[in-house]
Parts: sequence; structure tokens; C-alpha cells
Amino acid sequence: MSTYDLNFARWVYENVDGGDKMALCMQCGTCSGSCPLGAQMDYGPRKLFMMVRAGLKDKVLESNTLWNCVSCYNCVVRCPRQVPVKYVLHSLGTAAVRAGIPAATKSDNARFARAFWWSASKLGRTDERIVTALFYFSYGLSKGFKMAMANLPVALGLVKTKRMHIGAPYMCKNKGELKTILAKAAEIEARHAK
Amino acid sequence: MSERKTGVYLCSGCGIGEAVNMAALEAVAKSEFKLEPKCHALLCGDEGVGLIRADVEGGVNQVVVGACSSRVMADRFAFNTAMTIRADLREKVIWSHPAGDEDTQMLAEDHIRMALSHAPKVKQAEPWVEGNYSQRICVLGAGVTGLSAAKEAAALGHDVLLVERSSELGGHARLGSKRLPHKPPYDAPAENDLADLIKAVEGNSKITVKTNTTVTKTAGMPGKFAVTLSCGAVEDVGAIIIATGYRPYDPSKLGHLGYGASPDVVTNTQFEEMLKAGKPSRKSNGAAVKSVAFIQCAGSRDPNHLNYCSSVCCATSLKQALEVIHADPTANCYVVYSEMRTPGVAEELYRTAQKAGVIFIKGAVKAVDGDLTVHVADELIGENVPLKGLDMVVLATGMVPNSTNPDAAAQEYGQEQLNADIDPEAPIKVAGYCGEAPATVEKRVQAQPPGGSLLNLQYRQGPHLPVLHDGFADSHYICFPYETRRTGIYTCGPVRRPMDWAEAVEDSQGAVMKAIQAVRSASAGAALHPRVGDLSFPKVNLNQCTKCRRCTVECPFGAIDEDEKEYPQFNATRCRRCGTCMGACPVRTISFDNYSVEMLTTQIKAVKIPDEFSGKPRILIIACENDAIPALDMAAIKRHGWSAHVRILSVRCLGSVSLLCISDALSVGYDGVMLMGCKPGDDYQCHFVKGSAMAAERLSKIGETLKSMMLEPERVAQVEVSIADGERIAGVINTFVDQITAIGFNPFKGF
Repeated sequence: MSTYDLNFARWVYENVDGGDKMALCMQCGTCSGSCPLGAQMDYGPRKLFMMVRAGLKDKVLESNTLWNCVSCYNCVVRCPRQVPVKYVLHSLGTAAVRAGIPAATKSDNARFARAFWWSASKLGRTDERIVTALFYFSYGLSKGFKMAMANLPVALGLVKTKRMHIGAPYMCKNKGELKTILAKAAEIEARHAK
Repeated sequence: MSERKTGVYLCSGCGIGEAVNMAALEAVAKSEFKLEPKCHALLCGDEGVGLIRADVEGGVNQVVVGACSSRVMADRFAFNTAMTIRADLREKVIWSHPAGDEDTQMLAEDHIRMALSHAPKVKQAEPWVEGNYSQRICVLGAGVTGLSAAKEAAALGHDVLLVERSSELGGHARLGSKRLPHKPPYDAPAENDLADLIKAVEGNSKITVKTNTTVTKTAGMPGKFAVTLSCGAVEDVGAIIIATGYRPYDPSKLGHLGYGASPDVVTNTQFEEMLKAGKPSRKSNGAAVKSVAFIQCAGSRDPNHLNYCSSVCCATSLKQALEVIHADPTANCYVVYSEMRTPGVAEELYRTAQKAGVIFIKGAVKAVDGDLTVHVADELIGENVPLKGLDMVVLATGMVPNSTNPDAAAQEYGQEQLNADIDPEAPIKVAGYCGEAPATVEKRVQAQPPGGSLLNLQYRQGPHLPVLHDGFADSHYICFPYETRRTGIYTCGPVRRPMDWAEAVEDSQGAVMKAIQAVRSASAGAALHPRVGDLSFPKVNLNQCTKCRRCTVECPFGAIDEDEKEYPQFNATRCRRCGTCMGACPVRTISFDNYSVEMLTTQIKAVKIPDEFSGKPRILIIACENDAIPALDMAAIKRHGWSAHVRILSVRCLGSVSLLCISDALSVGYDGVMLMGCKPGDDYQCHFVKGSAMAAERLSKIGETLKSMMLEPERVAQVEVSIADGERIAGVINTFVDQITAIGFNPFKGF
């Protein structure tokens, strides 16, 4: 049996991107009904929002709903109360990772996002080989090797059709400036978090 | 009335002239009634009305108009010095029957005959006016509703007697914090402006305020009520407005929601007082309230408690939650509901509460523990989740109408009397129909509020104002909301139905308008609702009266008492002119100037009954003018035609139909009789409350009479129709005609 965390909903309203609008959710279920990935989710957005209100913090942050959103924006367009459902879900995902919820930090999507972010922030570009390699080996050496081998024919096909190049990874020209930009963004975010 | 001079005017407009032979109609008036009709192609036009007006000025004092239904153009055909009788040639003839048909022509001619035959018997109504009438209005209860009523009545120039049971004015609002939004944009709690209202009332010289006072006795009738107060004074008033409001549902019955388990489980009324006093704190330890759960429908919409929704508790909880959050923005407020009901603009308040972070949980409360853990079966998550760490639980209890005085002892007749003349299963006590005792039927069990009557009415029907199920004062929710079952006494505010402050203010205005209409009509001798302005009045010929008391027992409004010699004595202004007394009287000695059993039977007998070889049956439909006649008109407007073998007789109420009308009809050769009236019973639609029930009761006794006449009881039937039955009514008539045709012709035909 779960317990209501009386402060969770209030925390979400105040700290999650779009959370203030979420307070207006009237539980019509248009978001869940519109979601193409609904069947893949533990709970649809409607139920997840109600769980937020109820204060079921752990269940919300552990749910795969946060990671299975594909940003199709059906829910955002259709919500009669203008709740930006997609933003709320992604923002809740971020919150889950920051809170160190294992189900969140170890999810496929979080791993992929980390790999993507490493490449993007370090190189200024996303190199398929680096992103996939980081993603695969985040599962450990042997599983990563197995995953890489399973995808080898695809990679070779891509190389053959010149969809993937062999050689040094692409990088942006001035990585120093990129670093400055990202540092500034982190500063702004930290300021907003307060 | 001076010498009668009748003018007959026929209209050939609206297609009447093309569908029926006007010359033949004129011939009926000429040859059978020796009257010279005037025909016009557009009688309701200025020229047509001018034609009649010229005759009226020339001395005609009775106008018979053969044109459209009496329900339309009434103002066009109204003349100061002449009374008007209408014969319907349009709705009930040409619009509901085929043009140029032989049967349609016979029908039109019979309508002319019915109108002209009884015209000589109709007299100009003379109003009953006697002695002095009070224009003063008594308002019972000085809460928001009563104060507003007093203020409004005084503003319209009437003296007001405001009676309040407690020592202070203001009622519940006096103890309340803010009030629900009542001004655009309707999205935030508004200031409690009761003090302004009290000041306006106390400063008004037209209003006499009596606090610590109750009414101990009310005698008399509209315009002439004598109200005895607990201080001993007897006050004359013309009309009474009941604004006794509500009391909160008894929370001690809500143990299942934790009431009594902890001092921190309170009702919304108690919480309101805490908000009024300042920042609410826990009763148990005095700590500030940081998280509150509001439990909606506490004892409402629950067959074990209050059956109904009180409609304001949801908005009240929203308001209280917002007040908590405004006082402390870090406070948590939960509203546990099954359905949020925020009618009208209260939706804006709901939105504000959502924006402010009030958390709404849909589900049933399973239990509330002593440590304030609320166990909710959350419907939207589908789990049982305990709500822990609360500081206070507020039960949103509903409104119980003060239809009685809960502090006083139950009155002599007690709870049975409170509902005796509304219970559909209760036997209608009719004195000696065919020597039968009234059937005893098991009564429906209805919970009634305990307590004494508010007015202690000195009416033969007992001291109470009749209430509907759930204890609210009996009135028609939509059509005539303020009227009670006692003429000249009106209810408004939550004693009538649950409502909030702003609605109660509006409601009081409605009731004041009715009360003013009551005092003014009473002094003019005119009827009130529903026959507004009717000057006719039941007159009894005491020489023929057999003191059978049927009229006194059957009058739905207590308008007839017995004098010391046991003759009927009329409380004139209580009368609503339905004619139930007239229908009840076995010796036909009660009649109105313009409505009597004789006038009805004359019309019935005026119809030409074809002999049995013609193959044309004749069926009489006696139709209530309030619902059945409009429904027939509506059917005609939609061109849902019915059999041309029926003849329709319009009556004020089925209660005014004497059995003699029916036996007369059968003895002159009608093949069947159908009574069309409103729905009787607990959710009655009869405009005179008991008329259609009374007709059914009388009709149930006619079977024996018919058998003794060697007639089939199926020849007489009663059907319920409502004003919305325009689509159905033609089918009802045709089915009955088929039934009668199957039985065969009336053997009395031709005698």
C-alpha cells in the first residue's frame, strides 16, 4: 500500500516545467487516449497526473511513462486545459534522474540521453558511433559487446551506403566557445532552480 | 347584469373559411340560437376587432368569438364592458382534421353550438370583496433571505413585519467568514457584506423587526391574516413569506466519517466560524492548521442520510480551501469528492482553487481514524490510499430545510399531518361516496424533520405547510417556485431548495413579488396563481346544501370551513378557483358566475349526437385547461390530427368535473367519456394539487353506476397528459376511440 506524500504535488507544481498548468488538469483523459505510446506506458499521463496529486512520489518517478513519451505533441495540442503534458513528462523524467531513482537512471532512455549528451556537449556534434558505443557499454562490457555485435550488420550496411563514415569523429570548430555557452546555460538553470 | 345582448363573430381567416362551410356555421347560429353572426376574414386584425368593439359600444355585453383557440389572441378579444366566450374553429377543428370533410364540418358546428348554448347562463363575474385588507407583509426568519425579502418589500412600498427566532439578525451569514463569489469575474471569495444588509433593514422605517419571537398561531386568509406572536401581540398581515432557511445536517450521525473520533474533525459550518475568528488552529493542541482535507457529500446524496445534493457545499469547500491558502500559502488543502458540483459561475471558483494548488481527490472515504488518517478509495488511481499527516478534517455537510421549528415540540397532528394531503398512497378521505369507506393503503415511509409548525396554521388541513419528500416546502420547482400549498404564503431561500447567498437574495425578490401580488389581488377580489386575475368566486346556495361536507373536505386549499350550523363557510381569498368544490357537490349547489355544472352539462348536451345507423360515434373528452388543452393545441399546431368523432370540453381542473357531467353525457348518447388531466401523486403536476387525484378517486366509484345503467365501465376512462404531450396525445385519443368503437354504440342513443 502506498502513502500520500502531502508535499509532492505542491513540489511538482512549483518545480517542474509546466507543473503549474498541471494543477488545472481535469482528468478528462484526452492525453491518455491520444497517446500513440499509451500501451507501452505503466500509466497514461492522466493517471500519472492524478498520482502526482495523490502524492505517490515513488511510483511516479519510477514509472516508464516519463521515458516512453516520443514528443508527438498530440496531448499538448488536444488538452482542453492547455496542460503541456509532454513537457511535464520530460521534466518529471529529469527530476527522477536528479533524484537518483534507480528505475530512472538505469532506464534505456536515460542511458541513451546520457550518451547523446556526452557527445553533444563534448564534441558539439553527435557521432553515431560514439553515441551508440557509449549507450551499449553503459550496460556493462559483455552486454554492450553483445548489443554491438547484434547491430554490426546494420552498421556495415550504413557504411556501405555511405550513411556512416569511417575515420575521426566530426566535431564543432571551436569547442572552447561551446564550453562557455554550456557553462552559461548551467548557470542560468541553477539560478532558475532557486 | 343588465339585459343580455350577445354578439356572435366568426373568423374565416387562417384557412378556416376554406376548410369548413362558413355559411352552414352561420346558419347554426341563426336557426338554432336566433343570433345574427358577423363573419370576418381576419377577426383578430384591427378591422375585425374594431367591428366587435363598435358593437360592444353599441350595447353588446357578451361576445362569442368563433376563431382560434382561447389560448391565443386573448388580449385582442378582451373588452372592458363585455365578457368573451371563445369557440375554437382553428386548432381543434381545421388544424387537426381534414379540410372539407363532412365530420370536420359537424365538429365545427358542434363547437359553435357548445359555445352558444351555455352563453346565456354565463354571468359577468362579481368579485368577493369585504371589509379591510392588510397590505403588510410578514417575513419569517431574518437571515440573508428574510432580510433581503424585508428590504425588497419595503422598497416596493409595503410595510413589513420581520420575525426572527433568535436574538440577532443575520442567520448563518452572521457566523460566516467570506461569502461565495457573486460578482464578475466570480473567481474569488467575496467580502461578507451582511452588515450593510442589516443596516439597511434596521434603518428602514417601514420594517418592524421582532427578534426572540416566533409565530404561535396564524389564522385568516390572504389579505386578512392574523398572526399571533410569542410575545402575545396579534398582528394583521396580508401575506406571509417563509424564509426560515436551513440548519446543517446533524454531524453526530456521521461517525463513519470520523465525527467525534477527534476534535479536529469538524463540519464546514464550524470551520466557517473558525475562519471568521481568524487563522484556524487545531482544537486538540492549538497548533496552526497546515494541511486540511475537505470531505464532500458528508451525509449528502446518501440514502441513509440526506438523499439530495445541497448544491453549495462544493463551492463552500473551495472557498474555505482558498481562505486557508490565502492565509498560509504553504498550506496543503485536499478536497475528497465523488463529483464536484459547481453549478453556474462557481466553476470559476473551482478553477481558481485548482490554480492555487488545492488538490482534488476523487473517491469514496472508507474511514477517518482518530489520528486524522483519511482512507480514500481513489477512483482515478484505482487504489486505496491513506491520507496521513493532516491537521484537520472538514466534513462538508448539507442543508436541512427549516420546514418546521426544530426547537418546538411536534404539533398535535405531528408528522403524519405534515404530508397527509400529498402522499400519493394516502387514501383521499371523501365523505361517503356510494357508502364506501376510503380504502386503506400502506403509506410510503418518508422521513420528516421533527419539530413544531412554523406558523401553526388554523386551517382544517392542520398547522403545517405541506412539504415534499426530503422535507422541502412543496412548490413547483420550475413553474411556480414560491407558491406553497397555502394561498398567500410563500417560501424562498434554502427552506425551498438548497441555495447560496446570491441565489437566496434573488429568491427573496421572487417571493416578495408574489406576496405583493397576493395582497393586492386579495383586496381586489381577484384570484392568485394559477388563475391570476380571475374575479369569479364559488357561490353556494345554502337552501339546497345537504351539509355533506364534501366541499370542505376536498378543497385542496382549506378555503372552505364549516360554520356553527355545519354549512360551508368560505375563506374567500384562500380560494384558487379550481372548482373542486363544484365537482364535489352532489346537489350541484356550488357554482361560479361564469362556471358551473349546469354550464358544462349544457355544452355536453348541445352536441348533436348522430344515430347509431350513421356509423359516427361521439366521444366526450373532458380536458384540463392547464395542461391537456395546451397539449391538444400543440398537437394541432404540429398537425397531429385525431378522430373527428370526439368533442372536447375544457374545464378548469378535473377536480371540478362532477360525476353528473359523465352520467349526463352517457344518458344523452355519447359512446364514451375520457377525462384528460395532469399527473396526480407525490410528484403531481396538477395546478390545483389534488384535482386530478380527486377525479380519479371519483371515477373509481363510477363503475357500479355504469353497471346499473347496463353500460360497460370501459366507456369511461381517465388519462394523464402533460403539457409536453403534443406528440402523443392524438394517438391516445385515437386508441380510445378504437376501443369505444369495438365496444359498440351506446344503447341510450336516441332516447
